[in-house]
Amino acid sequence: MHFNMLPNDIPLPIPTWGMDSVLMPVFLILLVVSFVVHMVFINVLLGASLASVYFNRKGAMEKNPVFDRVAYLLTTPVTISENMGALWGVAPLLLVSVLFTPLFYAAAIMNSPQWLHIIYGNVAAFLFSYLYKFTWHKLENRKPLHIMIGSASVILFFTLPLVFMSTVQLYWTPTTWTYNTHFWDALLRPDTFFRLVHFFLAAFAVTGLFMMLYGKHKQKSADATDAEAGTILLRTGKSWFALPTVLNLFAGPLALFQEPSYGIEAFFSAGYHWLIVLSVVIALICLYLVIRDFLNDHVSSGRVWTVAGLMAVTILSMATLRHGMRMSLIGPALAQAKAQSEQFQKDSYEARTAPKPAPAIAADAPVGKQLAEKNGCLACHAEDKRLVGPAYKEVAARGYTADKIVALVKQPVPADWPDYQPPMPPMPQVPEADVRQIADWINGLK
Amino acid sequence: MFDFPIFDMPMFGHRFIFAFDAIVHVFISHGAAVGGSIVLVLAQRLAIKNNDQKFDDLAYKVLFTLFILATAVGALTGIGIWIHANIINPAAIGALLRVFFWKWFVEWIVFNVEMVFLLMWFLSWKNRPLGTPAKQSHYRLGVAYAVASWLTMAIITAILGFMMTPGNWLRSDFPARPDYIAALMNPSWIPSLGFRTFFAVAWASAICMLLTWFFTRNDEETRVKGIRFFGKILAACVPLFLLFGYWYYLQFPAQAKELFVIGAITRRLAGNPQLATYLTLGLAALGLLGALTLYANPKRAPLVAAVIMLVGTSGLIGEFERVREFVRKPYIIYSYMYANGVRVIDMPLLERDGYLKYAQFVPPEFRQVSANGDNKLKVGEYIYKMECRYCHTVNGINAITARVKGWNEETIDNRIGSLHATVTPFMPPFAGNVAERQALSAYLYDLSSQQR
Repeated sequence: MHFNMLPNDIPLPIPTWGMDSVLMPVFLILLVVSFVVHMVFINVLLGASLASVYFNRKGAMEKNPVFDRVAYLLTTPVTISENMGALWGVAPLLLVSVLFTPLFYAAAIMNSPQWLHIIYGNVAAFLFSYLYKFTWHKLENRKPLHIMIGSASVILFFTLPLVFMSTVQLYWTPTTWTYNTHFWDALLRPDTFFRLVHFFLAAFAVTGLFMMLYGKHKQKSADATDAEAGTILLRTGKSWFALPTVLNLFAGPLALFQEPSYGIEAFFSAGYHWLIVLSVVIALICLYLVIRDFLNDHVSSGRVWTVAGLMAVTILSMATLRHGMRMSLIGPALAQAKAQSEQFQKDSYEARTAPKPAPAIAADAPVGKQLAEKNGCLACHAEDKRLVGPAYKEVAARGYTADKIVALVKQPVPADWPDYQPPMPPMPQVPEADVRQIADWINGLK
Repeated sequence: MFDFPIFDMPMFGHRFIFAFDAIVHVFISHGAAVGGSIVLVLAQRLAIKNNDQKFDDLAYKVLFTLFILATAVGALTGIGIWIHANIINPAAIGALLRVFFWKWFVEWIVFNVEMVFLLMWFLSWKNRPLGTPAKQSHYRLGVAYAVASWLTMAIITAILGFMMTPGNWLRSDFPARPDYIAALMNPSWIPSLGFRTFFAVAWASAICMLLTWFFTRNDEETRVKGIRFFGKILAACVPLFLLFGYWYYLQFPAQAKELFVIGAITRRLAGNPQLATYLTLGLAALGLLGALTLYANPKRAPLVAAVIMLVGTSGLIGEFERVREFVRKPYIIYSYMYANGVRVIDMPLLERDGYLKYAQFVPPEFRQVSANGDNKLKVGEYIYKMECRYCHTVNGINAITARVKGWNEETIDNRIGSLHATVTPFMPPFAGNVAERQALSAYLYDLSSQQR
């Protein structure tokens, strides 16, 4: 298959020191693993920051300090996961940029300047989330303001996946590129839309898992409020895990079948669909384990950890099949970009080793003219016509001495030539001996 | 770069948005992270040694501020440099990533260590009271943070050094065989690392002096201690970064040294090179004046002294970064790639075949001037957007219309034919064939005549 518009691959090798067969799989494993860690932090960040604002408001409305405590407890995982999430996003960004350069960069450019939102929107979200956390006690009596600050950070955090997902989906699908593809085209497409739905639901489910673990931990606390907050976290965690996981059983296939058909076919023929089966079976077992004790506030820690461990397998398997879909979609494009680049480098080599054409100024031209060319004077002046500056014949008509011309090159006097723009800049770097020969040539042009 | 899509940034231009992110990153990463970590570890050491609770509290308050700046702004704008580069000059950052992948990967691991120790140091400070053994081990968290923070700078500085003085890094250009070790050990790495280290510490000390002023409004005794302590660190760093700065300067290519004055001021003012000296000395004097006023009498010194000091020092940092970026021109990677993403060795091919022949994201009907010339302006516009937009905008910052104002088409064409000349040594030569150059001239002439 052929892609009509595709940048060349970067004309430098991927740094494997010639050990492609060993290091390429290492790169890909690193990519998938670091991406999973990044995603788990980001999922918890999105879910926990939203849950914190939700419980903060609930506590204020119902005047219940336990909800307020739940909300406050959730700010610690937010601080940790925003920092670790950004940090663990760097490794996949680095690997994707090195391995899939032409596709990823092309998509990022098409999505710009919106692509920059992942920096500036993120900075603003961080600052709001810190403000929210560190003014908790100061703004205790001004809850509406405090909740607004929290909401600002949540809204900003929730806009970031829109930008990421549209860029990712765009670089996965070079068949959809046009000369005018732009951010909003990519964002509002059904493939991007269903992947976003799938992603946000998964973020809630992962946060649900986290809240169950965090809740079990807090239930053991000696402080009565904290212990009660732990129970609320556990309950919330169960429903946040169960409902989105059920919905994702539907969103997943919807996202899958939006991909271009050649990719879906390659995906199935490579056998990646077995990972879907594995992920779904484990998720169903976990759903059963959670729902069985849905109303039991004293479900054992062992049970919660079992679910978390099983879901870790699901997450890893989902990330691997995601990688499988990526490679099924972009494999042919990467090969074409590489072939294009090799051809280009070969053509370039031929062009630069071909015999050189004769120089613009003949070798038998006057020495002064050759020096004028060498020193770049002819960028702005010609012998007999006005360019940026006056024709040399006009200069000759003024009858400057060679000394005067040397001085004028070092420090021009634009006032003497008021009709010309822009003024000539000083050029002290031209050797004086050259200027004297150029001056002789100019004055000979009368 | 010809084979990537076109990203338009009207008014501000690419240079400006990149410079904005980069300078914010330099201010924060040097001040709050690299320099800040070293200065605050020293401050905590002093507090432990003297068992001084108030000084420990002051150090914590400063750390609180720097923590927020470093994590929310410093780290993200650092990633932002990649993000800006990948949309502005994908060919250049793509090449740098291929050459420096492993160094960047190591940097990421160190960055992890840095972040974990920072979080631990910051979040557990209050639970480790002075005078307990726990405080000693807490102090070690800070040391680990400072070391990791400095190491991230050491690695990034190698990449910046490479862009200016790549050394003998390409063993063969076709097929391309880079020498990764030579790229790392490029001549300006160590001098520039020394230079940056000491100016980062000096800059962080200046920030700490300002913050001390704020946090000790009701405690003159701690204010004297704090300002004098940070002031001494600042004073100790100045001769060191001057020394390393001179060594660093010696590594610059001769052609780059010639551009120093234009970089420090502007081309318009370059006829008076003494202005560059006045500007540099003036900023240094401001910084010094503020610092001395604070140091001499911490109790009475007004806030404005601290502000003047910060304006002077940040002005110097800004000027340094601008000069460093400017004198590298016309290259982005010295002698290998021009600022507009074209490899130097590809120029003959582009001249032979035309630039737009390889422009994947330009519709085919505009990849060549047609026989009757009816697409000439559009072809010229594409050339402009792909070659010139790295530094110029149409009407905004460094507007191209202002550059060609009042010129006729022939003048523009002649000028484009010798861009990399004495008058503009910082400009890359035009890449493409004669028809494309004439199309660009026609487009620029059309742009400027619309404004008459």
